[in-house]
Amino acid sequence: MDRSQIVAGIDSGHVDTKAVVMSGGKVLGYASAPTRLDPATAAGTALNGALADAGMSQSELAGIVSTGIFRDVLESPALHVTATVSEHMADARGALFSNQKARTVVDLGGNVHKIIRFDGAGNLVDVAQNDKCADGLGIFLSTAAHSLGLSEPELSELALGSTGSHAIAIQCSLSAQTDATDLVCQGIAAADVARAALGYVVERVASLCRSMPLAEEVVVAGGLAQSAALVGQLRTALGVHLSLPERPQYVGAIGAAVRGQP
Amino acid sequence: MYQLKVWGAFKDYQKNRYRDYLFAPGGLRVTGSTWSVLSPLKGLGEDVYILGGEPHSASAAGTLPEEGRLDLAAAESAGLGFHSCSYLKLFVGEIVRDRIAITDGTNKEGYVRPDLVWTTHLCTQHSKWYQEVSRRLGGVPMYAIDMIGGGNAEKDAKIVKYVSDQLDEGIRWLERVTGREFSDERFARAARNEIKVLVLWGNICALNMHAPAPLDERRLIALFPPAMVDRTTDECVRLYESLLAEVKQMVAANESVVPEQRFRVVYFGLAHTYGHPETSRILRDAGAEIVASIYTFGTTGNFKGFTGKTWSWQPIDPAWVDGLDLSTRRKTIEALAKIVLGWPTWQGVRSYWAIEEMAKAMVAEYKADGLLLAPTRSCETDFRNGYIAMQRIFRDSIPTAEYDTDQVDVRKMDLPGSKRKTELFVQLMEARQRRGQG
Amino acid sequence: MPPKTARAIIEYFRGVTEDPHAYARSLQQKGQRVAGYMCTHVPEEVLYAAGIVPVRIITAHTPQAISRSYIHETYCSFSHDCAYQGLEHKYDYLDLVVTASSCIHMSEAFNVWVRFAGFQTKSYLIPYPHIMQTKPARGFMVESFAEFKQFIESFAGRAITDADLEAAIGVYNRNRRLLKQLWDLLKLERPPISGPDLATVTLAAQVMDKAECNRLLEQLVHKLAGKQGRAPAGVRVMATGGACDHTGVLDLIERLSYPATLVFVDSCTAARYFWFEVPEGRPDKLDAIAEGYLSRIPCPAKDVVPGTGEKERFRFVQQFIEEYRPDAVVCLYQRFCSPQPMDVVALKPILEKLGIPSTDLELDTTIPLAQFGTQLEALLEITQRMAPGG
Repeated sequence: MDRSQIVAGIDSGHVDTKAVVMSGGKVLGYASAPTRLDPATAAGTALNGALADAGMSQSELAGIVSTGIFRDVLESPALHVTATVSEHMADARGALFSNQKARTVVDLGGNVHKIIRFDGAGNLVDVAQNDKCADGLGIFLSTAAHSLGLSEPELSELALGSTGSHAIAIQCSLSAQTDATDLVCQGIAAADVARAALGYVVERVASLCRSMPLAEEVVVAGGLAQSAALVGQLRTALGVHLSLPERPQYVGAIGAAVRGQP
Repeated sequence: MYQLKVWGAFKDYQKNRYRDYLFAPGGLRVTGSTWSVLSPLKGLGEDVYILGGEPHSASAAGTLPEEGRLDLAAAESAGLGFHSCSYLKLFVGEIVRDRIAITDGTNKEGYVRPDLVWTTHLCTQHSKWYQEVSRRLGGVPMYAIDMIGGGNAEKDAKIVKYVSDQLDEGIRWLERVTGREFSDERFARAARNEIKVLVLWGNICALNMHAPAPLDERRLIALFPPAMVDRTTDECVRLYESLLAEVKQMVAANESVVPEQRFRVVYFGLAHTYGHPETSRILRDAGAEIVASIYTFGTTGNFKGFTGKTWSWQPIDPAWVDGLDLSTRRKTIEALAKIVLGWPTWQGVRSYWAIEEMAKAMVAEYKADGLLLAPTRSCETDFRNGYIAMQRIFRDSIPTAEYDTDQVDVRKMDLPGSKRKTELFVQLMEARQRRGQG
Repeated sequence: MPPKTARAIIEYFRGVTEDPHAYARSLQQKGQRVAGYMCTHVPEEVLYAAGIVPVRIITAHTPQAISRSYIHETYCSFSHDCAYQGLEHKYDYLDLVVTASSCIHMSEAFNVWVRFAGFQTKSYLIPYPHIMQTKPARGFMVESFAEFKQFIESFAGRAITDADLEAAIGVYNRNRRLLKQLWDLLKLERPPISGPDLATVTLAAQVMDKAECNRLLEQLVHKLAGKQGRAPAGVRVMATGGACDHTGVLDLIERLSYPATLVFVDSCTAARYFWFEVPEGRPDKLDAIAEGYLSRIPCPAKDVVPGTGEKERFRFVQQFIEEYRPDAVVCLYQRFCSPQPMDVVALKPILEKLGIPSTDLELDTTIPLAQFGTQLEALLEITQRMAPGG
């Protein structure tokens, strides 16, 4: 293996830090760690995990490229980050990597969601990002799951079994959470509450998607895209085909690594 | 770096007007919105001291931010909602705390009670603002003028009549409530000054069409408050004449307070620099300079305005003001009504198409590379309405970014979002430049 | 088949509020033109005189975020919902949409319809005073109404005569009197109709052809005459505040674990809609309409008495308190509303002076019934303890 080709990408997000090791256009290893209050440590943990998954050591890397909200924090000597790239560019490149025909990526992050349009070379054309009231969709889902005594995958699974349609507030995550709790107080079935919680997330994302034309094909990425129920609801809401990578939460990290490759 | 010669005089003027309100012996004290016509007050005498809500709230928050936070907290404890206008809350908060702070650092116990409120109805927050002031101070006499506003409002005879009739009534009310005799001569002089200052500021703003723009947002935001605080005095006219002369010289010599201007930005929003040092830094590092802004231009400035439905930010010749016929009270009133109705703010606050046309003209005339929109969460006027739609309308033609902010309440400013969006904004402008479109 | 019983009539009205589109379309099927209006400042009589039926745009109670990419987040949910319905083409069937200068939130909703929802050529904004109590307001309104009348004549392809206007004024005044007659029943010891039902009837009136509405109201008045309802239970509650077309909130007041009776609703979707009359038989009809609309209970967005800065609306609120004798008051306003919460700040000291406890309910598109229930029950408990012997 040509050592000069092996690059790691780290996407340091609000909630999770994701890392990949890539070479020759292939992803060799994946890992993630909760960011919590220490992005640098989380980055180190994720990177080590990805290296272990790839069966490699850090000394074999030609470079480490960071992206994500904490990318600047990672520029510390201990981590040996060699380059940084903005989240939008990383997402664009990562989406193209998963689907050569992609021209839009919808990134559903823990705190921020964005719609990024790009050209065939991954250059930015336009970006829309949520405003303050729509912050924290991923954090909201974690809270909603926790309040129901569930993990997020369990919440998503439960929502798939919903038979009733109930509405919760759209104004912000706090309103949505309050309303979801109120539904429980009213005796509404847990599956329906779960679906309503996902519905809030979908409604906010769909609204942002409608603020600019989506160039097909559209890739959906980010941690929240791991929920089949959510992606299904989003497809229905937007009425467009959504291309879902195998591990959507790693699109940013992949894009960072792609940018770092010669 | 170019240092404005008039800077000190501007700061002093603003400070001295606030000091007059607090400390001048005797006289008549007036509070209210300075979006209304101020010169009728000067028909009552030279000893009329004005404490306008917006310049005061903004400048107090800027000078003593911790006091501002205490004022907001006090207003909220007294029942004003989280979502209410932050300027309103700061102003009322001072009354609740029975303290007042001004730009010279004075932080005084004992709120100085106004003798009357002379105000307008810019938005529904505004109309409540001074009702609260009046009520909390035990019932201060209050007169509010409905300016109506809207695109081409100054050309609509029924609107001019409506506003003028209210001003007429208002002057009679001022006489009754103060017991003072109204002098039409003093009124006309103050009115000519008021109109002259507004036109002069428009001229100064228009000079920013030059590349490089002589003034940046930080200077602009500091140079218009004297016109808000009291634009009716001879001294105020001299100030703005001096500033205009100096900026003309800067343009002739290609000087600027910020010479490196890679990107010219049009900004729609309130005070940009306050509370957003990070976003300012991001723009500065990228050489992106705000050269035109609806708030700093449109608050106390008049421009050529609408011809039909097309707006121009070209200035009005100040000599036109000297030729105005103010020989009768009614003529003076109507001239004032038309000029204030012609303010960009009054035009845009009630007409979506007016604010959209103003934005288009600003982008074109100031040769903008990007449009930055910062709706204020607590503000009802054209510092919020229309911005979301504008983002939609402009995004295909020019890099456009929008982030939420607030006037003075950092709890409501989306600081992380504003930083993210500003970085994105710079990236979009750079991408456009690389594509050869900038 | 016209409804036969009082309950059937009330249910008919409820059906209209639940599907105002079906009702409006039924009018069009009969060959009538229908104009939607936002806010209640629009002089409906001018439209009616031209043979156009005005129907108020009310909310669909749909949580949605579509409108967030057209108007700002921090505008009230009433305005967002109205904007949303325009964007989703729910009201495409309207022949016209009209508004009069209102609060900026509702103005933005109207702007969305005009700019983005296809109403560019079938819309009209009536310049309207933002302060109702100035002396020049009346003259301004007359001029503004005259321009509106000209526009409607051109739109409708017919002249609007004085006789047309007088007839429309007569129909609308009859509607107002009938509604007032019904609300007066809540002053009785055992009202034959409930406050929530009356609120529903009043809301329906705002989206109906007044001639048909009047016929049904007359029947309802007749059927309720002399009847006695259940004994007034528990705490007498008055609701006051902003637009509230979510009847579930008002129903909730009478379905708590503490007995309570809703005795009055002071909002633009209830009493403020009809609590005035337009002078009849005047030579200048538009001036009469202006005089009538100026005498309305002011919307907080337009309420500043020149000279004192007083809120004229509070005189009415105190009058309602005297006439309907509430023991407790619920202040209703939309989240992010600007003028209403500011009015509440000034109203609370008055209520405290009168010894009337109150609570605030912040309305949104969705109503958290359990949460609101807890809040309301707390109010009722406090009120009961304050009562003599409580």
